[in-house]
Amino acid sequence: MTEPFLQIRGLRKDYGIVTAVSDVNITVERGEFMTFLGPSGSGKSTTLYILAGFENPTAGDILLNGESLISTPSHKRNIGMVFQRYTLFPHLSVGENIAFPLKVRRWGKAAIDAKVKQMLGLVRLEGFEDRKPAQMSGGQQQRVALARALAYDPPVLLMDEPLSALDKKLREEIQHEIRRIHQETEVTILYVTHDQEEALRLSDRIAVFSKGVIDQIGTGPELYANPSNRFVASFIGDSDFVTCKIISMRDGRAALSIGSGPVIHGVPVHGKNVEGGMAALMLRPERLSLSRAAVGEGAFGLSAKVTDITFLGSNIHVAALAPSGETLSVRLPFGHEAAAGLSRGDTIFLGFDPESAHVFCG
Amino acid sequence: MLLNFERLGAWKWILLVITGLTAAFLILPILFIAALSFGSSQWLIFPPPSWTLQWYTAFFADPRWLEAAWTSFRIAVMVTVLSVLIGLVASFGLVRGRFIGKEALRALFLTPMILPVVVLAVALYAFFLRIGLNGTTTGFVIAHLVVALPFSILSITNALEGFEKSIEDAAVLCGAHPLEAKIRVTLPAISHGLFSAAIFSFLTSWDEVVLAIFMASPTLQTLPVKIWTTLRQDLTPVIAAASTLLVIVTIALMLLAALVRKGLKS
Repeated sequence: MTEPFLQIRGLRKDYGIVTAVSDVNITVERGEFMTFLGPSGSGKSTTLYILAGFENPTAGDILLNGESLISTPSHKRNIGMVFQRYTLFPHLSVGENIAFPLKVRRWGKAAIDAKVKQMLGLVRLEGFEDRKPAQMSGGQQQRVALARALAYDPPVLLMDEPLSALDKKLREEIQHEIRRIHQETEVTILYVTHDQEEALRLSDRIAVFSKGVIDQIGTGPELYANPSNRFVASFIGDSDFVTCKIISMRDGRAALSIGSGPVIHGVPVHGKNVEGGMAALMLRPERLSLSRAAVGEGAFGLSAKVTDITFLGSNIHVAALAPSGETLSVRLPFGHEAAAGLSRGDTIFLGFDPESAHVFCG
Repeated sequence: MLLNFERLGAWKWILLVITGLTAAFLILPILFIAALSFGSSQWLIFPPPSWTLQWYTAFFADPRWLEAAWTSFRIAVMVTVLSVLIGLVASFGLVRGRFIGKEALRALFLTPMILPVVVLAVALYAFFLRIGLNGTTTGFVIAHLVVALPFSILSITNALEGFEKSIEDAAVLCGAHPLEAKIRVTLPAISHGLFSAAIFSFLTSWDEVVLAIFMASPTLQTLPVKIWTTLRQDLTPVIAAASTLLVIVTIALMLLAALVRKGLKS
């Protein structure tokens, strides 16, 4: 078996008595787009900074093509990076910025000129060579930063929330650019963001960080369909949580009841055994079905009162209050018959396929 | 805007008069000296009976005046170079360093700005007496460096704090050695701060008189000291000429600083 391309093994970083990250293990394939997703302070940026060499890990190792990077100083790691802040060298023109890493590497003038031209083409900024960074928009500056970071063909490109300073529309535009550039260059990208939509849009796989550890690694659909804990479920996509009582647990499935409702069998369950105790039932708003009448015995687990109806173009959001006091949101496609004539204060009945729900215990 | 000048009515004119008087109060003595330096009266009569350049001729003909000017210039240049270099290193420590007592150290570096200069002068004089630095160029440079450094540290830490550290990190990841990254990226980016540090350091030394009087010897005098000692012996319009030259150099440097600042902004 060939050596994995990039391996992060048992990485740990302590600042005094505070542990920023611990037990981080990730294997990245060549050409993969891997995103570290998590709220601020979850350790995702610390992990990236250790990869860049700006921080030394307390324990653990990083292997690139089987060789440890830890003792290599930042400037010799040959890694590209795009930062959260605008980091173009203010006194140099766009062309000189992109040429900087090549000049440092003592490339010849002709080779540098050709490469600068090629990189400007890659980020679609032909003709901007002589501009100064201050004369460019934030989006353009980040594209130049991307060109500069890729000019020396680094095996790995790190991106630390590069779009967080941009407005939403521009952000989406540059996300497309990043996708295209990833496909064209086949560079391996490690991307840090706190924006789940951005992570889902860009990544091959996502590592969800929380409180300094990785909760789960997987493709977007995997994380969405099979979150391993409540945090991942709430961080990837929208979710409703309902308190339920666990009646029995067997083979990763639970039988549970909500309030005084009927027993629902066969819900995938995660966490330790809490038979007879309470747990959180997670439902996806678009997987909930909505009915105006309690059709049949036990077909619907929940009755609720409509508190708000929001029209969002292709979707309609219905917020409903369960008897337990929990607010649930239901997403219906525009034109769905159940939404017709629905108004605030109506009683509705919510149902779900046990397979699409998850129970998180403990 | 809270206070719109155009809407102040009568106050507008009162403010204009106050501003004019303040400016006159500050500038008139200098203009007065400059006018006297071109006057023909040996007794500094104002208004001058007629105009002449003879005092400037006398200034440039007297090797003692020229030597004093040269000494001032020489010391100011050495102070400038050292002040910017030390200020740069100290600023990196104060801005980037993580250690206990950082803020206290920063305050300590600025104390020469508020400490009475004469106290510093007496202390340095007593100390230099022991190690034999009074009346030497080295003593002069050290003394002026003490009062110039706070300006240097203030301008450079300011510039460095406004500089995004990630830019330097980006240069390092691009493959530049951390020192190379500082020289090729950080220094050009904070050049306005370095320039202000240089100008203020030069001027601090150039027109400093209290420390200079203590440090001077009969053979080593800066221009302000020469003006001071000459003034005590006899009253000659050459002093006015020397003072005017001193002021011209200062104004020229201030103008240069303003121009460079404007150029850096656009």
